Amino acid sequence: MAKDQRGKTTTSPSKKTDTEKQTEDTTMVFESSDDEAPEEVTFDASRTEALRSMKQALDTARREKELLKEKRRKRQELFQEQKKIKLLSDDVLEEMDSASSKKQKQSEAEEQRQDEGENGKKKKKKSRKMEHSRNLKGNYRVATVKVVGALASSQQQAAEDFIQSRLYGAGSCRTTNNELLSLQNKTGRNKGAAVQFVKKDWACKQKAKAEKLKKRWIHKQHIPSC
Amino acid sequence: MGEFKVHRVRFFEYMPSPIRAMAFNSRTDRLAVARGDGAVEIFNFADNYFQEKVIPGQDSRAVEALCWVGQRLFSAGLNGEITEYDLENLRPKYTVMAYGGPAWTLSMSTECFLCQVGCEDGTVKMFEILEERIQFQRNHDRQKGRIISLSWHPSGTHIAAGMMGMIRIFETETGSPANKEVVVWSVAFLSDHTVISGDSAGKVQVWDGFTGTLIKTHLITKWDVLALSDQSSLVAGTSEGTVTQFQFLPLIVGQQDKEWVRTRTFKNHSHDVRALAHTETAVVSGGMDTQLVVQPLLDRVEKNTQESALRKIAFPHRSLVCCAKKSGLLLFQFPEHLELWRLGESDGHGKPGDSLPVRKKPEKLIHLKRKGEDHICCSALSPCGGWLAYTTVSSVRLYRLQYNNNSISIKKLPKLPKELCSAHQLCFSSDSSKLFASSKHSSVIVVALGQSECKYLHTLKPKSGYGTTEQPVHLLFVSEDSKWLAAANTGCEIHIYNLNKLKLHCTVPVYSSCPTAIAIHPVTSNLVTVHANQQIFEYSLAQKEYTEWSRKLQKQGLHNLWLERDTPITHISFNPNNQAHIILHDMFMLCIIDQSLPLPDRKTLLYNQMTLRSVPESERLRHSHAFKICKNFQHLLCVSTLEDQALVVVERPLLDIMSQLPAPVRQKKFAT
Repeated sequence: MAKDQRGKTTTSPSKKTDTEKQTEDTTMVFESSDDEAPEEVTFDASRTEALRSMKQALDTARREKELLKEKRRKRQELFQEQKKIKLLSDDVLEEMDSASSKKQKQSEAEEQRQDEGENGKKKKKKSRKMEHSRNLKGNYRVATVKVVGALASSQQQAAEDFIQSRLYGAGSCRTTNNELLSLQNKTGRNKGAAVQFVKKDWACKQKAKAEKLKKRWIHKQHIPSC
Repeated sequence: MGEFKVHRVRFFEYMPSPIRAMAFNSRTDRLAVARGDGAVEIFNFADNYFQEKVIPGQDSRAVEALCWVGQRLFSAGLNGEITEYDLENLRPKYTVMAYGGPAWTLSMSTECFLCQVGCEDGTVKMFEILEERIQFQRNHDRQKGRIISLSWHPSGTHIAAGMMGMIRIFETETGSPANKEVVVWSVAFLSDHTVISGDSAGKVQVWDGFTGTLIKTHLITKWDVLALSDQSSLVAGTSEGTVTQFQFLPLIVGQQDKEWVRTRTFKNHSHDVRALAHTETAVVSGGMDTQLVVQPLLDRVEKNTQESALRKIAFPHRSLVCCAKKSGLLLFQFPEHLELWRLGESDGHGKPGDSLPVRKKPEKLIHLKRKGEDHICCSALSPCGGWLAYTTVSSVRLYRLQYNNNSISIKKLPKLPKELCSAHQLCFSSDSSKLFASSKHSSVIVVALGQSECKYLHTLKPKSGYGTTEQPVHLLFVSEDSKWLAAANTGCEIHIYNLNKLKLHCTVPVYSSCPTAIAIHPVTSNLVTVHANQQIFEYSLAQKEYTEWSRKLQKQGLHNLWLERDTPITHISFNPNNQAHIILHDMFMLCIIDQSLPLPDRKTLLYNQMTLRSVPESERLRHSHAFKICKNFQHLLCVSTLEDQALVVVERPLLDIMSQLPAPVRQKKFAT
C-alpha cells in the first residue's frame, strides 16, 4: 500500500478523490497536472486508508476460504452419494455372504479350479453374462469372476518386476557374462583373449544388404558369360 | 577295438533354469529344489545325490518358497497359490489360492501343523495342514508393505516377518525402520529369540527378539544378501555368489560370552545365490547360475574322503535327447518346446583324431511348441523318425511325421486311447509299431501304431502288493527284437515284461541304489544297469540271473576312480559291429567297456588311453583293460550310436550356458 510520503501520490482510485486537498509543498511536480501542486495527504487519511485496505484484503481472504470450504463440502457430499449408489445395499451383501462364505469360496476354487473362483473384494456390479450368476434385488446381478484373470497375472507380473528392478535395476552394479569370463581368461595361468572378442551382432542390417548386393553383382557378371 | 565316425553335435542350445528355492528333509535325506520355470526336482542325498524326480514346471507357477511337512512337499509362488505336490505321480496334487496377491514366502511349523504365507498385500495368512489338504485359518494384522520373508520361532509362538525396510515380530509388536528403503530378503528366528536378517544393503544383522534392538551388524557384501539358512550354523547367500557362514562362538577361547562370529566364506557360484539349505554335514546352495553346489563342512566330515569333496550338479540326471538310430534324426527336449534336427553329413575319411569336412550342414526340421501352460515332462522319437510323442502332467500328444524329398510334414493324432492320458516315460519299439508309456503304479501302457492312428493294446502291471510300486517309473527300455521291455522306478525296482506274452517276466533283485540307466543288449538280451553309486550289473533275461561277467565284476570290484566320479551315467548304448562293447557316458567322459578284455584291478591305471597310444601296437593288447575312457568331448548331454557305425555325441559346454545367464555383479578388481 502506498506509504505516507509527502509529495508523492499513487494512482490508486482512492487517492484520486483526495487530490482535491491542496498541498503547500513545493516538492516534485506530478505528471498528470502541470499547474497544480502535488497533493498532500495527511497522516490520518492515509492511516485510515491503509487500515481499510487491510480489512478489505482480510475480508476477501476469508470469503475465499469460506467459498472453498463450501465447495469442498459439496464435493464430499457428492462423492458420498455416489459411493452409496455404487455400494450394494447391506441386505444384498448379507445375501451374498450367506450364499458363499470365504471358506466355501476356497473349496469351490479347489473343485472348479479351472473354471471359476470368486473375487469377494470387488463390490462393483458386473453386468456380464457369466456362469453362476444370480439376480438379486433391484438391478444387481452377482456373478463369480475367473480368478485366473488379468488381475492375478498383473499382480504376479508386478511382483516379478519388483524382484527384477531390485536385483538388476538401476544402481545394482551389474556387468556382463562376457566380462566375467574374459577376466578369468585374462588373469588365469594360460592367458587368453576375451571370450567374445568380436562383436558379431553389429550392423546386421548393413551386412545383409551387402550380402544381397554381392549376390546381385555376381549374378550380373555371370549373365554375359553364360 | 572299433573305430567310429563321430558326429559332434553342439546345436542343442540347452539352458537350465535358475534355482529359486530349496528345502532339505533331514528325515528322508531328500532335497527339493524349485527352479525359475516352476519345475521342482527331488535329489536323494543318500544315494550319491541322484536327481530322483522331476516335476515339470508350468507357465504361471513362479515358485518363491518350498517347505517339507513330514513327507509332504508344499510350495508358494508369485501366482498367489499354495501347491501340494504328489511325489508318486509327479504332478501338483492341488492348489489353494491365498487371496493375498503374490505369495513371497512360506513357513511351516511341524509341531502345530500350521503354515504361514507372507503375501504381497502385507498380510500373513495362517493355514492349517490337514491330512488331505490345507485349510485357511486366519489372517494376522495387515502390514503396510509386502512380506518378503518369514521365520517361525522354534516353539511356534512367534513369527518374524521381513518387509520393506523393517522386521516385524508378531505376538510382540516391535519393528525397526531403516533410513533407506531396504528389502529384508530373509529372516531367521532362533530358539533363543534372536532374529537374524539379511537385507539388500548387504548386511547380516542380529537382533534381540524381545526388545527389538540391534545386537550386531556384519557387512558381508556390497550387494544383496538374498538367502539365510539356520540350523547347525547360520549361512547367508549373496548376490556375489558367496556363501558366508556364521557360528555362535565365544570370542576368546574358554570364555562364556558367545556371539555370532563370521567364520568361513565360500565362493562356489558366479552369479547370485538365491537358495540355501543345511544337511547334517554340508551346506547346499543354488542360484542364478543354475548349478546346485554341495559344500561339505570340514568340521563335520573326515578330510580327504569322498564325502568331503565339493560337489556341483549342473546337468539333469536324465536324458533330454532322443536319437533316431535309423534315420539320423535328433529330438531335443526343452521345457516349452521340442526341436527336431537332421544330422549333418560328411564324406571324408581320415585317421583317428581328424576332423572331417562337413558336406551337408545339420538342419532344424521342426520347432514344435507345446500346447497349454504345462511344461513338457518327457518326449520320444521313433527309430525310423516317423513318430514323435511328448507328455505333460495333464496330457499325451502323438504326432505322425512324413518326409517327402526335402520337406517334412507333421500331423497330430487327434484321438488317443483314453488310457493314454498322462505318462512319465515314453518309448517306441524299434520297428515303430508300438508305443510304450509308463503310467500310475509303475504300470506300462502298450499302444499299437497304425498308419495314422493308434489303438490301445494292453496294460502291463507289476505284481501288486509287494515292493514299492507306488513310485513313478523313470526309465523305460524296449529291446531291439521287441521281445522284452524293462521298466525301472525310483523305488529301485526293475520289472521285465515279456512282450510276446504281454505279461511280467521277472523282477530284477532290488539293489539299494537307484538305477540311473538301463539297456537291453540287442544280441545277447542281457539287461545292463548302472546305478547312482556307479555300480554296473548285467542280468540275463533268459536265465533270470546275473551273468558270469557281472559276477566277475562284482567280485573284483570297480576301480576307485570309477566309483569316485560324481556325475551319473545317463545313457547306455551298444556297438552294432562288436557285441562285446557297452558304450556309457556321464557328463565328463565317454566310456566303452569291452567285455572281452580283462577287468582292471585297483592298482591299474584307469585312464590309460593316452599311455596305450604311446606303446607299439603289438604290445597294446597286453596292457589294455576293459574300461576305455575318452575325455575328448565335454560336457556331454547324450552319446548314442547310429546304425551306420557312427557315434552321436551331444555336447553343451558349460561356458556356453554361462554366457547366456542373466548379468552377474560387477566386481572392481585391481588392474582390470
